[in-house]
Amino acid sequence: MSVAARLRSIPAGAALTAPAILYLGLLYLVPLVWLLARSFSGPDGFTIEPYAALLSDGFTWQVIGNTLRIATLVTLLTLAVGYPAAIVLSRARGWMQVVLLVSIILPLSVGIVVKAFAWQIVLSRNGVVGQLLVASGLFEHAPQLLFTEAGLVVGAANVFLPFMILPIYSVLNLLDPRLPEAAATLGASPLYRFTRVTLPLTLPGIVAGGAFVFSMSVSMYVIPSLLIGDRFQTLATLTGRSFLFMRNEQLGSTTAVLLLAISVSVILAATALARRLGGMR
Amino acid sequence: MNAASETSSARAFLEISGAGKSFGSTPVLDGVDLSIASGEFVSLLGPSGCGKTTLLRIVAGLLKADGGQVRLDGRDITAVPPHRRDVGVVFQNYALFPHLTVAENVAFGLSARGVAKAESGAAVARLLGLVGLAAMADRSVRGLSGGQQQRVAVARALAPGPKLLLLDEPFSALDRKLRETMQIELRRILREVGTTAIFVTHDQDEALVMSDRIAVMNRGRIEHLGVPQDIYRRPATPFTLDFVGLSTRVSGTVRGSRDGLSLVETAFGTVGARSSYLEGSPVAIGVRPERIALDARHENRMRVRLADAIFQGAKAQLHFHAANGDRVLVEALDVPTGLSRGDEIELSFAVEDTLIYPAQTAGEAA
Repeated sequence: MSVAARLRSIPAGAALTAPAILYLGLLYLVPLVWLLARSFSGPDGFTIEPYAALLSDGFTWQVIGNTLRIATLVTLLTLAVGYPAAIVLSRARGWMQVVLLVSIILPLSVGIVVKAFAWQIVLSRNGVVGQLLVASGLFEHAPQLLFTEAGLVVGAANVFLPFMILPIYSVLNLLDPRLPEAAATLGASPLYRFTRVTLPLTLPGIVAGGAFVFSMSVSMYVIPSLLIGDRFQTLATLTGRSFLFMRNEQLGSTTAVLLLAISVSVILAATALARRLGGMR
Repeated sequence: MNAASETSSARAFLEISGAGKSFGSTPVLDGVDLSIASGEFVSLLGPSGCGKTTLLRIVAGLLKADGGQVRLDGRDITAVPPHRRDVGVVFQNYALFPHLTVAENVAFGLSARGVAKAESGAAVARLLGLVGLAAMADRSVRGLSGGQQQRVAVARALAPGPKLLLLDEPFSALDRKLRETMQIELRRILREVGTTAIFVTHDQDEALVMSDRIAVMNRGRIEHLGVPQDIYRRPATPFTLDFVGLSTRVSGTVRGSRDGLSLVETAFGTVGARSSYLEGSPVAIGVRPERIALDARHENRMRVRLADAIFQGAKAQLHFHAANGDRVLVEALDVPTGLSRGDEIELSFAVEDTLIYPAQTAGEAA
């Protein structure tokens, strides 16, 4: 049998997904199972004691609250900034569109550590933002921005912004431009057109972008480490500390699994929502 | 052109004057004037790129004209945004809202104007009944056939009670049979509602079937505005002659004019036409194929040889060649018995049916 014929005899789906399955299985699934096993194993074999201990601790709930609050705020901020940007991008033509696309995608090639340090400089008391606020007369002294939750949200939103813009942009691009026009000829004001036509039809893009940004900001480690520090713990930074500083693999595994559970449920819920909304189109 | 002046009556419901538009350095609309009376159904007929859709979008307010004015029902709407114009549009691809049901689509214009649900419900039901979709109210629009989608689009556009309805090639996505049904259906609906309508199409048959008047457009101008009979029988320009219906066209030279009758020398012989061209003028002569008789009963005659006979069911098409090779097209009810390919016969047509145009514009428009 020739190579080509043999390749043809393998179901195409299996052949095409094999590299991905191998890669994910070896480098992701195996460590994950180890992590999961580690979090459920005590001195006497299987136990849920680490979870019970963790969840009965008020501090844990504070950390979970921090994690979800920051992730939600970052998602909302990227949506508020990203949706108008996606509209401008989808309306741009020619070189303007290229410039905008590059300026959205290029920052992705700058490492997160570099960006986080950059925001440290921008947000510091004599940084650009502080200076501007003083110059505008709104503040007498530059307000504390670095090492605050607000600073963290702003910095993280900047890093994750492309992941909100691009899915919305791709859905906007598929939107028939005649639909808002049809709404206009039916007597709908610009606001009514947006809320009743454009927004509902681009919801799948918002859901996808939201899922990206939320799952990335729920698990971010470097950005909070640099922009807010140790005083403020999220599940991700707690996991990192457990492994790196406290050398408590049990605690680290448990918080990691908790974080994973949250991320996975967000992704699943978003996918289900997107499918329902997407099915409407 | 005789186009605009003919009907700019004092009671114009829609009055477009000097509408012009260029995209970059390409002029698309070249100062178009058009007046439409209340309740009238006017078609804009022309090939793609003639500016008919551009004119429609300017009237709808979806496109800003470079110059000119649009007045509707006594009000200057040139600068009015589309949602305050009371001009409904049925789009070429219907542009139904895919996330809404049939009834919600139809109700859209009413809710956009703040009409209460209870009140709009009755109007929506009435319109769905009018277009024959009462049973489909709660269906999603995605599952509908092309004809049903079009009915929804018409009902949706009519729901807010627009002063003017614009239809942009609404039949182009339908197959031939359905198209003919929908044309008659749409005529009935619009007659019932009594809406003034402008209809954009590149299909001459559609325009002839649907319209009270037709504006034949070419290169951003209206070439001929008139009732369908006029457009077909007395096309004002060679472009209209060619674009609407079939015709035989030959060039010739005027040999003399007297009492409104010009004698034109052509390759077929000398024919008469109602005009007063100067002697020696180069002209083009046109005749509609069904106006040519297969015998010598009329004044204008020519000897030709049968090249092909095509039976088409309700009628037959006969292709003849003249001695110099020019083609002559004749439409008859049937292929005459006893006439076979290669036979030479004499054809004739009346002076009244002989169309005559200056030769230069004939070449330019071709």
